[in-house]
Amino acid sequence: MAGALSDLKIVELGELVSAPYAAKLMADMGAEVVKIERPGIGDRSRTRGPFPRDEAHREKSGLFLYLNTNKLGVTLDVATPEGFGIFERLVADADILIHNVSPPDMDRVGLTYERLARLNPPLIMTSITPWGVTGPYRNWRAEDLTLWAAGGPCVLNGAPGHPELPPLTIFGHQAGYQGGAHAAVATMGALMGRLRHGEGQHIDVSVQEALASILEMTFEYWPYMKTVATRLGAKPIQPIEAMEAKDGYIYICCIEEHQWKNLVEVMGNPEWANEEIFSDRYRRAENWDVLKVLLGDYVRQQTVLDLYRAAQAKRVPLAPVSTMGDLLNSEHLKARGFFVEIAHPVAGTHKYPGAPLKYEKTPWEIRRPAPTLGQHNEEIFGGRLGLDRGRLDELKKKGVI
Amino acid sequence: MAKKLPLEGIRIADFTWVWAGPYCTLQLAHLGAEVIRIETTTRPCVTRMLPPWPDGKFLGLNYSGYFNQYNQGKKSITLNFKYPEATEVARRLIKVSDVVVNNFAAGVMERMGFGYSEVKKLRNDIIMVSLTGYGDTGPYRDYVAYGPAQVPLAGFSSLTGYKGWPPMHAGFSYADPNAGVHGAMAVMMALYHRARTGEGQYVEMSQWECAIDLLAEGTLEYTMNARESERNGNRDPYMAPHGNFKCLDWPEKISGHTVDRWISIVCADDAEWARLARVIGRPELADDSRFKMLAARKSNEDELEAIIAAWTSTRDPGSAVEELQNAGVAAGVVADSRYLSAEPNLTARNYFVYKEHPEVGVRQHCGMPWRMSGTPCEVRSAAPLIGQHTDEVLLNVLAYSRDELDQLRKAGVLD
Repeated sequence: MAGALSDLKIVELGELVSAPYAAKLMADMGAEVVKIERPGIGDRSRTRGPFPRDEAHREKSGLFLYLNTNKLGVTLDVATPEGFGIFERLVADADILIHNVSPPDMDRVGLTYERLARLNPPLIMTSITPWGVTGPYRNWRAEDLTLWAAGGPCVLNGAPGHPELPPLTIFGHQAGYQGGAHAAVATMGALMGRLRHGEGQHIDVSVQEALASILEMTFEYWPYMKTVATRLGAKPIQPIEAMEAKDGYIYICCIEEHQWKNLVEVMGNPEWANEEIFSDRYRRAENWDVLKVLLGDYVRQQTVLDLYRAAQAKRVPLAPVSTMGDLLNSEHLKARGFFVEIAHPVAGTHKYPGAPLKYEKTPWEIRRPAPTLGQHNEEIFGGRLGLDRGRLDELKKKGVI
Repeated sequence: MAKKLPLEGIRIADFTWVWAGPYCTLQLAHLGAEVIRIETTTRPCVTRMLPPWPDGKFLGLNYSGYFNQYNQGKKSITLNFKYPEATEVARRLIKVSDVVVNNFAAGVMERMGFGYSEVKKLRNDIIMVSLTGYGDTGPYRDYVAYGPAQVPLAGFSSLTGYKGWPPMHAGFSYADPNAGVHGAMAVMMALYHRARTGEGQYVEMSQWECAIDLLAEGTLEYTMNARESERNGNRDPYMAPHGNFKCLDWPEKISGHTVDRWISIVCADDAEWARLARVIGRPELADDSRFKMLAARKSNEDELEAIIAAWTSTRDPGSAVEELQNAGVAAGVVADSRYLSAEPNLTARNYFVYKEHPEVGVRQHCGMPWRMSGTPCEVRSAAPLIGQHTDEVLLNVLAYSRDELDQLRKAGVLD
């Protein structure tokens, strides 16, 4: 069986999360991805952990190793005219270019679709930028946190009753992941368009817009009701909260009335649960201060897994507040073979999160670990582009590769 | 002549509901597919009954801003599966569709008679994508998954929170749209494979696993170093400052609600910190040994944040961000829905959609996060009324006669 995208050639000019994740999603489904990094320095994610034994090493960053599976790696300084010339030759032969070069840097190096499409008219070029390639903020800077704020999710998270605490971000570069996943959708769309109508094109993906697109029902509160959804409001229905159990936290989640009734049964029908003040989900929210003490007393005496299984047996959607250890040791995830072991020549063998989806006919698979810095320079520049040894040495001396 | 949309002519039989599935098919509608929602008035999609509603009044199944956001550009037919004739209508629809998408719990489609093996009999090259909570296999395959619980289940909560506090949430059902966007990608990968080989296939997702894919930094800390990452508010081990800061006139009251006024500021390196020090009128701090280098700023982060907060507390969020950005410092308003609705960048890029809807009128909705130079995608219509396209689809797509349609309606099959 071959991967669904095994006939595709992609060039990635990506740093940190967004463009590397988009290209990983396609590489793991069989596409050939040539990833271009800065000579001597490499992708910024190489400087971020986690690192084994906390020893910072550019070949051992867990973030980099995860995001760059199945890719070939070359180093090339596209900001030099010689480097850009080589970049153009790589792109001339590619189906897709995915990059997250910021618009001011695109201007500086002359990275435009028009220029590349002259060499390769059916090219699809996907630009993933914080604020979009057009618009008044195109030249603004951004990091993951500032985008999680500016796109709208951040204001939704915090501790009700504690307005003095700042709106709280979520763990782990989520703006980058959403920018990348939405870019993969747009890129696949353009690929389908090209397959069916024969033309390449430029796609402009804004990470800010990707985040504004996933705000549940909260954005519409303003256009529909002229009210604002924030982290400070009390929940309209209860219980929907993380609570402390004997050996960790569990998320109590009773949205429908029958779920609460079944949870009460799981608890052995305590008298307090039948009090008038807890008679429906809205009243349970109004009286949450009382309920949280009574329910909390019960939950504290249970183990997470026992309560989870007992509740799920009655179709109540409780869930553990999983630690990373819980995930790695989960009997369910183990049975499904979710985590995969990947051996890397420098970083060693570790378990990584696996396939986001399982395809009947076209496998998701790890064919090779993430590249070391410049690992495939000779194969790509020498073997594929035909640069001879002398030329490669010269480019290396100049710092172009 | 208008250019063709990327998925023009591709038909999706859309059995999805709530958020994850509809977010998947929304992407496909954005790209030009004909998405036909199969609904029923006897058990409507829960989002049709959830707020926000115009002026806060629930007047019926077509009034929800939640539903109307995630179902733009789609069609809706209603079928009551209590009747075998409804199953027959759906079978006829599947026969002329390219893709079947659902996000029911594992086993539900089988019980309805639309498991993959049945669906494949109707159309040999069909693509079927199931976005289940736990996946089709494994000991928890029958467990119930609800949006809010998927965030802690996936592991986000245990890593997210204020320092020393219990685990926190994301503030919304983040795993849902994540499943949806990955699902849309999968539909197109399968379409691409079908175009090359003529072969359809079944694609299965566990929303749980799809969310863990976004937590590699956490899982690798565990697999590499056998430990859990600590919750640490908005801070980052490699950058400082890295946080949200209160602005002037906080908190503000808008129609009885407390409204936040914060901005987010990050300095990725020492040079950015020097620029920030100049903007806040404290250029001497750039060379101050307490703050000059990253390691020093990390050791003195409380003090660093207090200095920045003293400046932001004298500024309006929008103008503070502009001052910082003009000096080359990464910053953004911590935007709420009111701020977003008039945000200059989104507005200038025509991100928002204003389509006439027969019952709620013209409302501002979010559009798509990409622009395409060759095949300009746009939201083609407002979200459908429940059953709005039943007649159109049965008559024009499925070739029922007007008489047959009337009989089905009379018998309650089209409720």
